[in-house]
Amino acid sequence: MTLAIDFMGLKLKNPIIVAAGPWSRNGEMLNKAILAGAGAVVTETIVNEVNIDVRPRVAYHNGGVQNIRLYSDILLEEWEREIDIAKSHDGIVIASICAQTSSEISYIAGKMEKVGVDAIELGLASPMGEGLEVMAASAEKIYEMTRKVVNSVDIPVMVKLSQNVTNMSKVACAVEKAGGSAISAIDTVRCILGVDIKGRKPYLATYGGYSGPPIKPLGLASVATIAQSTKLPVCGIGGIETYENVLEYLMLGASAIQMGTALMLNGFEHIEAVKGDLEAWMLENGIEDLSEIRGAALSEIKSFDEIQVEPKVSHLSDICQRNDCEKCVKGCVYEAISKAGCSVIVNEDKCRGCGLCCDVCPDRILELIWP
Amino acid sequence: MNIKEIAKKAGVSVATVSRVLNHPESVAPETKERILNVIEESEYTPNWFARGLNFNKTDTIGLLIPNILNPSYMEIAKGVEDVAHQKNYTTLLCNAENAVEKERKYVDSLQKRRVDGIVLVSSMLENEDVEGIKKQGIPVVLIGENKGDIKDVPIVRIDCEGAAYKAVRHLIDIGYKDIAIIYGTTPERENKRKIEGYIQALAEEGISEREEYIQEAANTIEGGYIAAKRLIDLKRRPRAIFTSSDLLAFGAIDAMKDHEIKVPEEVAFVGFDNIRMSNLIDPKLTTVEKPMHKMGVVGARLLFDIMDTKDEENNSREILLQSKLKIRKSCGHRERIGEIF
Repeated sequence: MTLAIDFMGLKLKNPIIVAAGPWSRNGEMLNKAILAGAGAVVTETIVNEVNIDVRPRVAYHNGGVQNIRLYSDILLEEWEREIDIAKSHDGIVIASICAQTSSEISYIAGKMEKVGVDAIELGLASPMGEGLEVMAASAEKIYEMTRKVVNSVDIPVMVKLSQNVTNMSKVACAVEKAGGSAISAIDTVRCILGVDIKGRKPYLATYGGYSGPPIKPLGLASVATIAQSTKLPVCGIGGIETYENVLEYLMLGASAIQMGTALMLNGFEHIEAVKGDLEAWMLENGIEDLSEIRGAALSEIKSFDEIQVEPKVSHLSDICQRNDCEKCVKGCVYEAISKAGCSVIVNEDKCRGCGLCCDVCPDRILELIWP
Repeated sequence: MNIKEIAKKAGVSVATVSRVLNHPESVAPETKERILNVIEESEYTPNWFARGLNFNKTDTIGLLIPNILNPSYMEIAKGVEDVAHQKNYTTLLCNAENAVEKERKYVDSLQKRRVDGIVLVSSMLENEDVEGIKKQGIPVVLIGENKGDIKDVPIVRIDCEGAAYKAVRHLIDIGYKDIAIIYGTTPERENKRKIEGYIQALAEEGISEREEYIQEAANTIEGGYIAAKRLIDLKRRPRAIFTSSDLLAFGAIDAMKDHEIKVPEEVAFVGFDNIRMSNLIDPKLTTVEKPMHKMGVVGARLLFDIMDTKDEENNSREILLQSKLKIRKSCGHRERIGEIF
């Protein structure tokens, strides 16, 4: 059994890649991530001109994180040295880079190739600092930028896409047509994390990027869309915390995944924990190689006319033990469930089989069945 | 104290002292330490010009800018210097004052000083001048478009025409039709492109250009003031003015204040460059953000690429950087979201 994967021609020891972010801000941090067991690491996004950090720039609430940090604060010249440090233990280092024109981004890509990174990730999907419309929302722009970089370097080029786009498929196809080696998705999503009601102001001073578990469903939909639109390998990103999350992304077509926020909150040692759980799951399920499950759930995504309309209704599969719980009753908009003490009654004539009661039941003793 | 005296004091030959300074790895550790101690005690520093002759390298680069009083060039200079400093180089800053003769004189002087490379900002030189520099083995990089037709030299620039088009388009979108332009005499090529962008945006809307709305001025605050006065005196005064630099806008807004014309209520403004002060004047200036510091950084990088690798391929490199409309208050734009992104 092995966790190893082949991704864009790179041999990764496992599918967990450390995403671009402040935790990958220099050679030392990248090296730490590699030593902590990451399959590969992505640098914080490298740009021609560094920005000054604002304070505060990260906020955390209800499991989600908003950040307003713009790119790496290290000069290109310094990154040339930092990459040496990052590569000191033979890890796979991917340089995340950003610029606004194809000539500029291909220049940075060339510089990074020269200092020995293993691949490039084009970070053109940031929801802040680059205008109302993110660059990755334009298939034409993505094509032009990707094409120019692909033509100017010999290492693999992965393109990071954004959920802030109306037609993800079109942009993904542009990457494929331009000769990109892979797509990573998704970047953070434009957000305002919340409002401090007492102070009458948002938690952070401007719009930022949203990350963490709340964006996982967005990431999953994007990865599935890309996998169903192109033949490119996909690197899933967005709210991955546990081995189950990794499996979800893989089953929707990802070959590898990136973790960022979970590492920011739990430290790099979290990588080893997820790897261990993943191995245990593979052993338990007789999976030798992760490619066996890649895309396994994709065929179960259907068009509306393919979904069989079945006369399913809610059914109690066990005895309810909760005298004071009324979640199933309150959660039924069709008023089909009534409850007296622990006795739950489903009116099958009223039940329309929406399925919500099954999910809101804390003991999950409701299920949809054929009547 | 010179190298001979150091050698005498340390009891070694001049050649040994020279080796300690230039190839320390080739000197026995004890000897090296002894000589270094003497050097430190006598506060000796090598003659860098002599050293330059010896190594054919002076660790200096020349930077020519059109006008030291224009803050936009200082931001470019800072970018060049940031990279040069990283590479342990010294930057010699020359102020050409928009005079080609002065620029030629400085180039000549820089060549005599054996600088390792030269950065020309919005240069007025001709192709043959630059050919001459390159023949001396000194690489050249251009930042911004030059007046003449310099070929086979790497260049960092922005799309001045496209940027001006967007700026004027923005004014049209707000609702202005009578839009004037004040453009600087220098930098000539770049400002010509800005006029083209201005005309294109107007033409697209079917607004015919009015000759009296196109005003040339010295690229200074004073120039902007004078040109604005001419526009104020027109029978049909423009409702909006696009200027080819922020300095021109500052002068023009000053003229409006002196004539008690409200900005942007009566006359709106969009500048060009986004120098630091444009955010400090009242009303805050809407302007085209020219990535000046980044142009300096990238220009210097291109220069070091050639100096480090001697790679001829680099000579054809053109890096186009993106400018961006920075919406503030002077244009009369109302939606706040535009100011944030």
